[in-house]
Amino acid sequence: MAELTLDRLRKSFGSQEVIKGLDLTIADGEFVVFVGPSGCGKSTTLRMIAGLEDVTSGAVRLAGQDVTRTRPAGRGIAMVFQSYALFPHLSVADNIGFGLSLQRLPRAEIAARVRAVAETLQLGPLLERFPRELSGGQRQRVAIGRSIIRDPRVFLFDEPLSNLDAALRVQMRLEIARLHRRLRATMIYVTHDQVEAMTLADRIVVFNEGRIEQVGSPMALYERPANRFVAGFIGAPAMNFLAPGCALLAGLAVPAGAREAGIRPEHLALVAPGDGAGGSVELIERLGPETFAHLRLPDLPDTVTLRLPGDSGVEPGTAVALRALPDRVQWFDAAGRALAATRG
Amino acid sequence: MNRQNRIWRTALLAAPLAVFGLFVVWPLMSSFYYSFTNWNGFNPNYDFVGFANFGKIVTDRLFLNATINTAIWMVAAIVLPTALGLGLALLLDRKLPGARFFKSVFYLPICLSAVIVGQIWIWIYQPDWGLLNTVLRHVTGAEHNWAWLARPNTALWSVIVAWSWQQTGLSMVIYLAGLTGIPGDLLEVCEIEGASPWQRLRRVVLPLLTPSTVVVVALSVINSLKGFDILYIMTGGGPFNSSDTLAMHMYNESFAKFRMGYGSAISVVLFLIAMVVIGLYFRQLRKVDRIYG
Ligand SMILES: Nc1ncnc2c1ncn2[C@@H]1O[C@H](COP(=O)(O)OP(=O)(O)OP(=O)(O)O)[C@@H](O)[C@H]1O
Ligand SMILES: [Mg+2]
Repeated sequence: MAELTLDRLRKSFGSQEVIKGLDLTIADGEFVVFVGPSGCGKSTTLRMIAGLEDVTSGAVRLAGQDVTRTRPAGRGIAMVFQSYALFPHLSVADNIGFGLSLQRLPRAEIAARVRAVAETLQLGPLLERFPRELSGGQRQRVAIGRSIIRDPRVFLFDEPLSNLDAALRVQMRLEIARLHRRLRATMIYVTHDQVEAMTLADRIVVFNEGRIEQVGSPMALYERPANRFVAGFIGAPAMNFLAPGCALLAGLAVPAGAREAGIRPEHLALVAPGDGAGGSVELIERLGPETFAHLRLPDLPDTVTLRLPGDSGVEPGTAVALRALPDRVQWFDAAGRALAATRG
Repeated sequence: MNRQNRIWRTALLAAPLAVFGLFVVWPLMSSFYYSFTNWNGFNPNYDFVGFANFGKIVTDRLFLNATINTAIWMVAAIVLPTALGLGLALLLDRKLPGARFFKSVFYLPICLSAVIVGQIWIWIYQPDWGLLNTVLRHVTGAEHNWAWLARPNTALWSVIVAWSWQQTGLSMVIYLAGLTGIPGDLLEVCEIEGASPWQRLRRVVLPLLTPSTVVVVALSVINSLKGFDILYIMTGGGPFNSSDTLAMHMYNESFAKFRMGYGSAISVVLFLIAMVVIGLYFRQLRKVDRIYG
């Protein structure tokens, strides 16, 4: 069992506090994704879990054991870096077997285990190559191979796929999902990619300025964000934020204390002129299966994003009318907290 | 490429090529030529003697002695500054207080000319009031007036120490730059995978410093082949030829004993040895290239 607990974890660099008290429990075998804006402390948290960064105060517990002061190697964790961090002077086989060779295991055993790992990652034919003779995707597979060979209790991934092109990223994402299903190990995964976060996570942890804003399943965060920050951060394109009095919200009951409303692009619909708020199309983004239209409304400072079917014929400059699906509107109070009963 | 450009290019190339030809190629060719003669260095009349000079080399006891000393000199002049420079770099790379100050201090000797370094160490080795014997006297309490440079069994090594003192700073600076270039995440992988400090040094840091080692060794080889001046200042090859190297031997034969023909033959052999050393070195380089590009 490798349940991981962070207990009032804090971290300061000099006088600057970057992690301001984290409490989080990650169940054995769970896949948790950390998301948040750049500089919010995701990597720092991961590195404190790994033991690469000293903890200023608080504790890290692994399987009930306090490992806050344990050396990284004693924690039974593995880490996969964005830069792959492969040793350029070692072959693929020696990179994968690096940890085992440090323990002075018999050569034959290392070779056998390296081969087994390489087979599962389709690296078999590449074992004799050096890292610089590999593609980005192959390099990241080697880095993953190096991490799984020691059967760690917890895997830490810090943006492992962000140096890969889009197609490879999709492929590697599936491989990591498969890996998790097979190993059933605890995994923590940092990413900036919404799709990776939504598809891989059992639970997503949203960070902001050294604090956790919300923890929950991908769909829970998507449908019931706890506050304006999470609402705006989860989902791409982002949720539209509107002032309560605007034409688009006309006729909706505004809950007491609401200062702002949010509606996702897919919860807006075009209607016949006169049936909704009028505006004009400023910009069209066609993605193939869907189209995003950015609309200018006379009483709103920002454009409103609206999702349309892929074959929608809307052109920039067209005058349109739109409506919000009433039960999809989310309301936030002055402090940015989501107001209850936004959705029945 | 227009005409005027071509003229400029030729002219600009011609100047350095002429200098190179005059001071490198021509003397080299002359050495080959005179190595087959019995020229004494100034008499316009001399005879061709075929391979007689080279025959003499084979039986020259002093040549053998100088060859052995050259081997010792080169190995020591490569190994000592490289090892010491690496050690200092590893020490100073950990952000110790005063590291910046010591970096400058250790680098300073490289800025001095061999003449000054030689003179400093002649004073250090001076039997009666030199620093070394004075320190030994105070530490051991016994009388010490060993003439380091005047004794056959310490002369060569005393010069090697002085030489290493001067060259270490250069290796250190190159290794410090190399250490800066090692990505931090590779060292973090060592921590996560549980490498001991020794394993990290042996299996990660040293291999990753290979490009620096290539530069350090290349400079050491070149400098040690050129390292004639400090020997000349400190011992002149003596006493009793105990610190004679091939370069020293060649100099003595050509310019002290006026056997220019024989001296040229020695220089030809020295040239061939240098070619072999450099050739071996370049073969190693090609292996490095495959990994580090
Ligand atoms: N070694 C350090 N010294 C001082 N400040 C640091 C150090 N490492 C990180 N920080 C600061 O801590 C904060 C959190 O950094 P961290 O790398 O954890 O962010 P992140 O969430 O991983 O960002 P990104 O998404 O860009 O990777 C940042 O403000 C950063 O400047
Ligand atoms: Mg980061």
